[in-house]
Amino acid sequence: MTSGKWIIMFVSTVLLIAILLCGFNILTDPFGIFGDPIMDWYSYNITNNPRAAKIAYLDKHHEEYDSYVIGCSSTSSFPVDALNKYLDANFYNLIMYGADMLDVEQTVDYIIENYTVKNIVLNVYIDNGVYYGDEPNKYTHSMHPNVDGTSKLEYYGRYLFLNPEYGISKIKAYKERTWLSQSYNIFDAETGAYDKRRRDIEPIADLNDYYKAYPVFTNYPTANYTMPYIEECMESISQIVTACEENGVNLIVVTAPVYTDWMKFFDMEDVKNFYTSLAEVTDYWDFSYSSVSFEERYFYDSTHFRNNVGYMAMARIFEDDSIYIPADFGHYVTAENVNDYMIAYPYASGVSEDNIATRVPIIMYHNITDDGDSDMAISESELEAHLKRLADEGYTTVTFDMLYDYVTYGTTLPEKPVVITFDDGYLSNYERAYPLLEKYGMCATVFAIGYSVGCDTYKDTDNPITPHFDEKQMQEMVSSGVIDIGSHTYDMHQSEAYETGVARTTMAQLGGESEAEYLDAIRADVQRSKEQLSGITGEEIRVLSFPEGYYNDNILAVLREKGVVMSVSTKWGVATVIKGLEQSLYAMKRIGADNMTADQLMENITK
Amino acid sequence: MYFISGTFILFLAAVVLLYYIVPKRVQWMLLLCANLAFYMWGGAKTVLYLVFTTVTTYAAGILLQRLNVKRKEIPKTEKEALEKLKGQKKAVVAVTLLLNFGMLFMLKYLGFALETVSKAASVFGAELSVTAPSFLMPLGVSFYIFQSTGYVVDMYRGKYKAERNILKFSLFTSFFPQMVQGPISRFDKLGHQLTEYHPLNTDNIREGIQIMMWGYFKKMVIADRAAVIVTTFFADYNGYGGAVTAFSIMMYCINLYCDFSGGIDITRGAARLLGIELEENFKRPIFATSLSEHWRRWHITLGGWMRDYVFYPLSLSKPFAKLGKWARDRIGGKLGKILATSAATFVVYLIIGIWHGANFRYIAYGFWNGAIITSSLLLAEPYSKLKNKLHIKSEAKWWQVVCMVRTCFIVFIGRYITRSPRLLVALSLVIHTFTPATFALSDLWNGTILGMGLTARDLWIVAISVLAMLIYEWYEEYRGSVTAALAKKNAFVQWIAIFIPLMVILLFGIMRGSYISSEFIYKQY
Repeated sequence: MTSGKWIIMFVSTVLLIAILLCGFNILTDPFGIFGDPIMDWYSYNITNNPRAAKIAYLDKHHEEYDSYVIGCSSTSSFPVDALNKYLDANFYNLIMYGADMLDVEQTVDYIIENYTVKNIVLNVYIDNGVYYGDEPNKYTHSMHPNVDGTSKLEYYGRYLFLNPEYGISKIKAYKERTWLSQSYNIFDAETGAYDKRRRDIEPIADLNDYYKAYPVFTNYPTANYTMPYIEECMESISQIVTACEENGVNLIVVTAPVYTDWMKFFDMEDVKNFYTSLAEVTDYWDFSYSSVSFEERYFYDSTHFRNNVGYMAMARIFEDDSIYIPADFGHYVTAENVNDYMIAYPYASGVSEDNIATRVPIIMYHNITDDGDSDMAISESELEAHLKRLADEGYTTVTFDMLYDYVTYGTTLPEKPVVITFDDGYLSNYERAYPLLEKYGMCATVFAIGYSVGCDTYKDTDNPITPHFDEKQMQEMVSSGVIDIGSHTYDMHQSEAYETGVARTTMAQLGGESEAEYLDAIRADVQRSKEQLSGITGEEIRVLSFPEGYYNDNILAVLREKGVVMSVSTKWGVATVIKGLEQSLYAMKRIGADNMTADQLMENITK
Repeated sequence: MYFISGTFILFLAAVVLLYYIVPKRVQWMLLLCANLAFYMWGGAKTVLYLVFTTVTTYAAGILLQRLNVKRKEIPKTEKEALEKLKGQKKAVVAVTLLLNFGMLFMLKYLGFALETVSKAASVFGAELSVTAPSFLMPLGVSFYIFQSTGYVVDMYRGKYKAERNILKFSLFTSFFPQMVQGPISRFDKLGHQLTEYHPLNTDNIREGIQIMMWGYFKKMVIADRAAVIVTTFFADYNGYGGAVTAFSIMMYCINLYCDFSGGIDITRGAARLLGIELEENFKRPIFATSLSEHWRRWHITLGGWMRDYVFYPLSLSKPFAKLGKWARDRIGGKLGKILATSAATFVVYLIIGIWHGANFRYIAYGFWNGAIITSSLLLAEPYSKLKNKLHIKSEAKWWQVVCMVRTCFIVFIGRYITRSPRLLVALSLVIHTFTPATFALSDLWNGTILGMGLTARDLWIVAISVLAMLIYEWYEEYRGSVTAALAKKNAFVQWIAIFIPLMVILLFGIMRGSYISSEFIYKQY
């Protein structure tokens, strides 16, 4: 080959590679820059770069929204559904991780100019005084050129000649994507917020468990932050205020809760200066420092408060007293009252555990029989001994609804609460436990398996099983007020011995079952169980006991979707319910007392 | 504008294109404009240093030329006049060297010198707080000073005629591909090439591209990765065992070779695109069988410069001649014979050491090389006797390999000295490596290395690339030119030899580190 031909081949190869690369990047579009033609997967694209991908998404979808909540990552936890309800609007959450106030100002200008905007909720976080005008990474943190006016050539060029590894990762992730979000698609494209479905269903109990799961709170980092950009930040906010006034946009400014140890990174004088300067620019709702800041379970991690807290904040602003809000949470700050407010500001403090959390032993029984040959049964005399002992020790039985009210509304619970539960729905619960409970003035919850109500043989077979109470008996117990009914699934507690095909002994995913099939199966079962049981009892079914105690994130999320907002597991221990944290009602621990003496029971309850 | 940038590639492409389009007689002027543009990009202010060197050495050249002409007119019998003229010539050279090396000293070593003085003073109780003014280091300053002073000395020796056109001369001092890291060229080899007309020659373009690709591969795929390990190691050099220390130093050797020779390849390739042939600066040093051969294969143009402009003048100078005579008379034997030469060798390596940077460890590095080479001269005789006794033939292949490994080992130890922050650290690291208590081979696979900034994939890329490089160099050393062999293959093979290297450079070089997994991004928020 002549050198001339070689050169032509070389140049064509360079061009070929360039075309292949650009083509691949356009088709996979891991940053959502080119309209994501194949996968149309904005929850992934936004995770890669919320600034650029959200604008690309909104350019296509902005007609579905008329209001925006905007700011750095903590903004995500101001829930759009609450805002929609209170303001009768369609909010989009324009949280951009690591956003400084310049990013926010430019974005606000852009959306006001190009979209319909009725309301803007602006979140100001303490870090906004620390950073300004930063772009730590040009791929993940760059603004859309429509927003900040940077060179389109450079911008599109950058993503055209992107490392193909981004596209490959996206394809891999797309293949293995799941119903609940993974770390690669942590945004909900439709609301714009972080998809926190996993974290909003994670069972939370006492502090020790929480520390084990999130050790950052026991070994919190230390740092010294200065706030060199207060002036620039306030100037940007002032521009936003002006832009909203000029365009008739309703602006609500909020300050996100700051975790107490994070607050320690700062000099309190700087902090006061920051929030005072803000009041000079605009009135705002301050949530930055209160008892909430001292409760680590109200935070997802070292800096981000939970959606639960966001609901509290919104309820405070819109004077909704139907949910629990800590008394010192939320102040309306103005230029007039800011100086007075700042006097007490540094002295915010937490409340004691007793004020916000309660330990509730939940006792688990199954069958009652005097045969003495079953692990899953207790004798009638022993059961009575248990009940008597509980009464003697001053325990009061409570229902799951009372726990729910405590968590949601902050109502009170009796001094020594205890919950009694029976799994499976045996006839003996009706014949033996029910009268005993009545005798002692106690109440309990029975978790019934749907298909076996009233059965003494296994499903359609002649195989004998321990007899179960029937619908009439169930009705009688419920109307007496002694017994509540919960779900033990309709048919997800099958017996391997009697099933012809693969038995679903728990709510676990079967081998070979796709995620979609699995989710359908759980949804259908829970729906059927709810309909059946509430059809019989006339009560809404809000609590479920997991067969064999098995649960996973998918199950919890489906239950939440179906309004089953409480569940019990077989994890051993005393449950803790916490005000404002519905997660404390998920997969609560229990104490299995079938084989215990009254002494052993007391020992376990007080442990 | 360094080599590793799209800007450089675009700049080069534009220059090459214009270079072959413009009329014949302005081709060299275009090159001069390109040099200026390149230099201004690197820092407009520092161009004055370049102008200073160019003007002084140009003027010295013209002056020496005149004196050379004059000398021819003087009859050989008039010794006094000849001596006087020689004195004048020496004065011209001395002034030029003083001016230029003075400038280099000021830029590069003043800080170090002042610091040393004040340290020394504080030993005697005096408080001297002198701080050197900080200078913006001009691009390629050592290279163009060495290159143009070489020209002055050549003029002194009357090797060739001086360049009369200062613009043409300035092409020699400012040729842009050389500005970043050499090589140090000679005027008689390079000067005329820069001013001659070069018509478009597709062979040159092809070879230029091939050489550049090879350079980018070494630099971006291998060197930049190996550098990560080295940086991590030296950020906490006491925190690792002996095996990891040795591994890191080996990575440093790989890094240094691939970075430097890769850069030179890019330079040579770029020059070739313009039809200009630069000297080779590296000749596969891994195949050197002795340290002195290593230095004939490593940074060849610096070694050659030192030989011609330091070593020879020094060993032929009167004081060294006297020293040589004295040593032969008084000491006698082998040592007596080589003492003067060794002394000159020491001086050369000290200068090479100092040239690398202003620090005692570089001086020690020079000493290390000088000592090894001197002792190998001293021990040459007993050594060859021993070899004879053991029936080892020098030509035997296995013996050659032993010698190569030995040489690599000596170079490897030397690298402890050049990379450590202080000389004492280098010594302690060497001890650390060779003390069984601190050396555990298992450190290499117990995960320590994976904590040094490179992923397992990166390490594999380094390993495979180094292997590919060794095979390539082995072929070039013993079989011949790889590119020439490829040119004989069919079109498909040739295409593969374009496509694969381009993809490797693109994916593992240019795009190295530009990918952050989304999981990682989220972890930060």
